[in-house]
Amino acid sequence: MIRGMWTLASLDLLLWRRMPMAIASALIPPVGMTALLVVLSMAVTQQPVALVVEGRGSNTEKMASIIQSDDDAYLLTKTDMQTADRMLADQEVAAVIIVPKDFDDQVNSLGVANVILKLNNVDIDFADDIRRSVDRSVAQFDAPSYSLEGEKGGEAGEGGGAPANSDEKAKPDEGAKPEGAGKESGDTSEAQSAKPDPTAAENPYLVNIKETDLRETNVEWLNYQVVPALVLLVLSVGLMGTALLCAQDIERKTARYLVLTPQDSWTLVAGRLLGGFIASILFLIPAIGWCVWTKTINPPPSHWPALLAIFAATALCASGLGAILGTALTGSRTIALASSVISTYLFFLGGGFTNIAFLPQWMRTLSSFIPTRYAIDGMRQALFYSTLDGVGKDLAILCATAILMCAIGSFSVRRSWVASE
Amino acid sequence: MNPVIRALLGSAQAEFIQLARARSLVILTVVQAVTFLFLVSLFGMTGARAPTALIDYDKGMYAQIFVQNLKTAHHSFTIIPMDEETANRALAHGNLVAEIIIPAGFSDAMSQGKTVPLKVIVDNIDTDMTDDIQRALPSAIIQFAKQIKLPGIHVQVAEHDLIDHDTDFIPYLVVSSLVLAAFTISGILSAVAVAREYETGTAAMLALAPVHPIVPLVGRVLATCAVSMGALAITCCVAVFGYGIIPKHPFEMAATLASCVIIFGCIGVALGAGMKRTLPVASLVFGIALPLFMFSGSYEPERFDGNTIWTLAHFSPVYYAVGILEHAAYGLIVTPESVSLNFLYLLGWAVGALLVAAIFTRRGVTR
Repeated sequence: MIRGMWTLASLDLLLWRRMPMAIASALIPPVGMTALLVVLSMAVTQQPVALVVEGRGSNTEKMASIIQSDDDAYLLTKTDMQTADRMLADQEVAAVIIVPKDFDDQVNSLGVANVILKLNNVDIDFADDIRRSVDRSVAQFDAPSYSLEGEKGGEAGEGGGAPANSDEKAKPDEGAKPEGAGKESGDTSEAQSAKPDPTAAENPYLVNIKETDLRETNVEWLNYQVVPALVLLVLSVGLMGTALLCAQDIERKTARYLVLTPQDSWTLVAGRLLGGFIASILFLIPAIGWCVWTKTINPPPSHWPALLAIFAATALCASGLGAILGTALTGSRTIALASSVISTYLFFLGGGFTNIAFLPQWMRTLSSFIPTRYAIDGMRQALFYSTLDGVGKDLAILCATAILMCAIGSFSVRRSWVASE
Repeated sequence: MNPVIRALLGSAQAEFIQLARARSLVILTVVQAVTFLFLVSLFGMTGARAPTALIDYDKGMYAQIFVQNLKTAHHSFTIIPMDEETANRALAHGNLVAEIIIPAGFSDAMSQGKTVPLKVIVDNIDTDMTDDIQRALPSAIIQFAKQIKLPGIHVQVAEHDLIDHDTDFIPYLVVSSLVLAAFTISGILSAVAVAREYETGTAAMLALAPVHPIVPLVGRVLATCAVSMGALAITCCVAVFGYGIIPKHPFEMAATLASCVIIFGCIGVALGAGMKRTLPVASLVFGIALPLFMFSGSYEPERFDGNTIWTLAHFSPVYYAVGILEHAAYGLIVTPESVSLNFLYLLGWAVGALLVAAIFTRRGVTR
């Protein structure tokens, strides 16, 4: 039985090797998607901004220095007003930040000085990024703890504290106090209490951010985004490979011979699915090898078995689904197109394009019916988290889907062979 | 009748018949085009509104004001009130980006002018979201301070926007993705029409025709362009009725999309004549479309990504089409070039693509 299965699987792999166009068709979508994800990853970092410092004085310098030091947020060009306006008009920069001439005077007279932001608000994605960044820079002027290091509990940022001559004591404006203010509030029995931090630097905003990160290091956005493309690779190759081979048996009328062989036809059907499975794995191995070599993935050693099981179950799902598709549709190019559409849907509804958990509820509900969701969630858990929480459930659902897909696929393939007899 | 016109009409009619027989191909092409709309919407959804748990142990008046400011902090948070245990569990399972804990006594401390520590736990798995949280919190805090008129604050932001309204990210992306849909539909159908001539061996007959071999292929492409325009109309309907996009200049939008269909049809001819196989056409067009789209100012003005990428973007017709479409839909200027100049470049692309298609076809038929 195993020999029969292996014979058809190896024959399918041989046929697959002789179809470079089919291989290209299966590989182009994941490669294109990876390129897309890489470009997107590059797009979410800094924004080009021009800085114009019109005034002079210690406070002006302090403000400019805060903005210049935030190279996480800005790709900064320090220039004069005329050049900055030209750059904004020519879209060389997305915004111009101006520290005006009277900045020092305003600060020293204990008034409120403006930092002017001229913003090309074409869409809210980057416009909001800039707004947030400028707000943070401005807040840092009076509260250095709002620097990135400060939020994480490190040293306070540059500048330090309120400007010279400042002896104000921060308290909310009583006139602005709505009804009910100051009343005792909330159940505090087990709650965290707002005990003032005596070591905290003076902060007129009265709120000190104490950030705790869940993990020791941030995962690079690029790695986080690109790694699920491995699932798309498995899907695309398994689905298209199996589907094309099933369709070719019908088109070339070789299916009838498969039914007439002395070998049990169920064994041959299993061999067909095995061929699709092996093809996926053969393409996956070098991709994983490359990811490990470039340190794109670096899971703890104990997570490898779970990771491999996820890939194997996904490849079986793809193979079973490919068998269903190959018998439901006719024509190689229709199958190629259908495979790429289905793979794409499974990929992005499964959270390959983004983290589904961060999307609205309706999308999460829809996604819970997509098996690739469990493959991608499980893979991210195994790769980026220290524990394998939830991976067992993901694997169980994936395996159940794989069994179901293979069963339906096997029935479809056998029925198509018998019908062609 | 003029033999050229007869060849054009005859081949167009043949292609209509062929497409009528291959309905699944047409349907799948439309599905793939609509897929792009959903795909970019998903990307748009992740650009903002990070799901954040709010654990409010204070529930006082100042805490409520603070929460309101978190909610309006430049589309940064989707605030979900919950208890700390549930929040910790959700955070550990990757269902939240962060949890913000307002301590008991927050409002009292505020009333007395005392500084309060605000505990924030961030799942820093995703640098983009982490950055957004780290920048958005001070943003919410300064708005809060402004609202309750805290003294001792010396600097504020005075914002002057170039455009009098903000455009949401998803509608912006969806308009750009209509160009991608045109590329996919028209490119695939035209490339398949031409590649099929080579696959079935009928291309050799074109060498014997009394007209230039490109003429019957142009006839076929005219038919695929007509079908593509119909298919693109369905995609546009999804954009208008599904996403509520009402173009400011509808005729400009229609003209641009029609030009795109013709230009991408010509590019499809060149692809089909170059590949001579129908099988990889769809995957190739799909594979090319995605990166091409991202280098064409589809999510923000392309020049913001630097002069090198911006210069490279000029080699893509999608760049000019996106520039015109964003203007047609929202009146936005997203390229340094004017809209009319973008139209001229787009026309240049149409002529260029037709020339390349003629060269490829001539070579293919001669061989």
